[in-house]
Amino acid sequence: MKFRAKIVDAACLNHFTRVSAMIAKLAKTCTLRISPQKLNFILSDKVASGGVSMWCELEQENFFREFQMEGVSAENNAIYLELMSENLSRALKTAQNARALKIKLTNKHFPCLTVSIELLSVSSSSRIVTHDIPVKVIPRKLWKDLQEPTVPVSDVSIYLPVLKTMKSIVEKMKNISNHLIIEANLSGELNLKIETELVCVTTHFKDLGNPPSASEDASRDRDPEQMAEVHIDIRKLLQFLAGQQVNPTKAVCNIVSNKIVHFDLLHEDVSLQYFIPAFS
Amino acid sequence: MLKCGMSGSQVKVFGKAIQALSRISDELWLDPSEKGLALRSVNSCRSAYGCVLFSPVFFQHYQWSTSVKVNENDSTISNLNCKLGMKSILPIFRCLNSLERNVEKCKIFTSSDLCKVVIQFFCRHGIRRTHNVCFQESQPLQVIFEKNMCSNTLIIQPRVLAEAVVLFTSSQEEVTLAVTPLSVCLKSSSDEPMGLTNSVYSEMFVGPDEFDFFQIGVDTEITFCFKELKGMLTFSEATHAPIAIHFDFPGKPMALSIDDMLLEANFILATLADEPSRASSPQSLCLSQKQKRSNLMCSTNNSSKTGKNATSKAPGCILRKAAPKRLYPNETQIDIPALENCGSPIMKRVNEDISEVPESSVSDTEAAPGSSYLRKFSCMFFGAVSSDQRQHFNHPFDSLATASDSEEDMNNGSSSTF
Repeated sequence: MKFRAKIVDAACLNHFTRVSAMIAKLAKTCTLRISPQKLNFILSDKVASGGVSMWCELEQENFFREFQMEGVSAENNAIYLELMSENLSRALKTAQNARALKIKLTNKHFPCLTVSIELLSVSSSSRIVTHDIPVKVIPRKLWKDLQEPTVPVSDVSIYLPVLKTMKSIVEKMKNISNHLIIEANLSGELNLKIETELVCVTTHFKDLGNPPSASEDASRDRDPEQMAEVHIDIRKLLQFLAGQQVNPTKAVCNIVSNKIVHFDLLHEDVSLQYFIPAFS
Repeated sequence: MLKCGMSGSQVKVFGKAIQALSRISDELWLDPSEKGLALRSVNSCRSAYGCVLFSPVFFQHYQWSTSVKVNENDSTISNLNCKLGMKSILPIFRCLNSLERNVEKCKIFTSSDLCKVVIQFFCRHGIRRTHNVCFQESQPLQVIFEKNMCSNTLIIQPRVLAEAVVLFTSSQEEVTLAVTPLSVCLKSSSDEPMGLTNSVYSEMFVGPDEFDFFQIGVDTEITFCFKELKGMLTFSEATHAPIAIHFDFPGKPMALSIDDMLLEANFILATLADEPSRASSPQSLCLSQKQKRSNLMCSTNNSSKTGKNATSKAPGCILRKAAPKRLYPNETQIDIPALENCGSPIMKRVNEDISEVPESSVSDTEAAPGSSYLRKFSCMFFGAVSSDQRQHFNHPFDSLATASDSEEDMNNGSSSTF
């Protein structure tokens, strides 16, 4: 198994750093999948994550000037590594004014992702910074749990409001109850509701717009005013929103009534999918 | 005995010094002398010592005097032996930025009769805040360390060091500084054997031209406590002065110092002693100094006149390069209030490790029988005040802490005393 890649462009480096910071906020431990064309950050829906799952995908050629990898075997040309997301994020943050950044898979007593940074400094000599991030290589038999999740057929698909606004509202609602109801319809209306014995709080977002739906029949049959709702743990939604430091290029929310809510975001050229299951 | 005053911006620097010293210990000595006001602090494991000396010109006014106690036969001249708890004094110098803005004048005065230090802030709008802090009578400890005799000296701008320090997480306990005439490397060091740790290993290479002064006499790698380095760094950012690092071989203490016209700060840190017979093993802190301390305690209780005649059994502590020994705290035969387990995680590991290293041949004769350490920090402090201070000049690498008795003692040596 081999992996080496190099970033030389400052904008690409900053973007990659932002992506890794976002992943660090979304998942403490995650899987990095390296394949010839793509890099994926994966969180699978195990009990440990509370049923939440995440799939983040980026095209390697948008970031790396050089990229070479050799997977486990020719038929299974991929590498799956488990790591603490915070470690990668912190290492990348030290590369603020780097001339070049190299990442490679190494084995120094144990498998590591080694990040080497050549920093520009005021004087003529450059500084070399190296971080060895310990990783665990995931064996092939576990790969089936880490595949791209199938996007469920949703009852309603709607564009999200400005995430920062949504986050500050959800933060305040968290103080009232952990049980949040998200509902939306095909008329561009989204509601966030908290209901307790003493008080009910609802925030209404209007005129959000709905993306063109995949299956025409389903949307024609459905009453545009009818709300599809899902009951979720508010903390999971808050964790998702906390990871979004920048407003995404595109943000869609798909609701499968009483089953799952699926967020599909695009940050420039990086796609992020986040699934929060309903309370069982 | 002490009376001084400073302006709002000087209070900020003063407060930063206290904050930096708080990283070393929970206690602070206020030690005024004709050289200025020194703030001193030693950690409980005796592996780190900090001293910030504010010269009289730092203050708006500075007055100091010794008190003379007259007994039947003689009179003893004693300094202000003032030890303050960090818990009492740190909150007073909290929010330094707002202190700098609001405080017009700050007065600090004491008198040993009352065992109280009074800190008064004269703030804007006619507000006056007075803090009375009780102190414990305790003679300050000093360290004599010949930093100019070190073979390696680096002087660096705090900004560069800050950029290096950012690489490491706050949970990082120790860092290693590795130098050759061509490069300097700061890297994380781990006390766990390789393979068991889950933490990131980081290192940064800095070229010689980033240093204001670069003199490497001997290639070396020294490991020391990260927390104390950070403490010194935050203080240096307040003074905008470059930091000098003086060091030698592993085991010998290192000094971090800042020297400008108004103040002189020195942090002397123990470094991990390298044990050639054991390539990698967990270290323990050297607490054999407990034994040594008995000498110190005796000598500090003597008055300055007899101080010089105090026991000179052990020429002090010593940079042990000998094979490690295990520490059995119960075996020390001293009945001074023994130092409690300083609570450092490093300490706890001592008792779990099995030492395969043979008995050492140590220079001092006071080792408890049958004790053995593993790799340890050598403690550079605390030994008896020898009867002839001139001895020390011949052994520049011996480090001693002497109780700062009176001006007499201080005028006698030309070795740098902090």
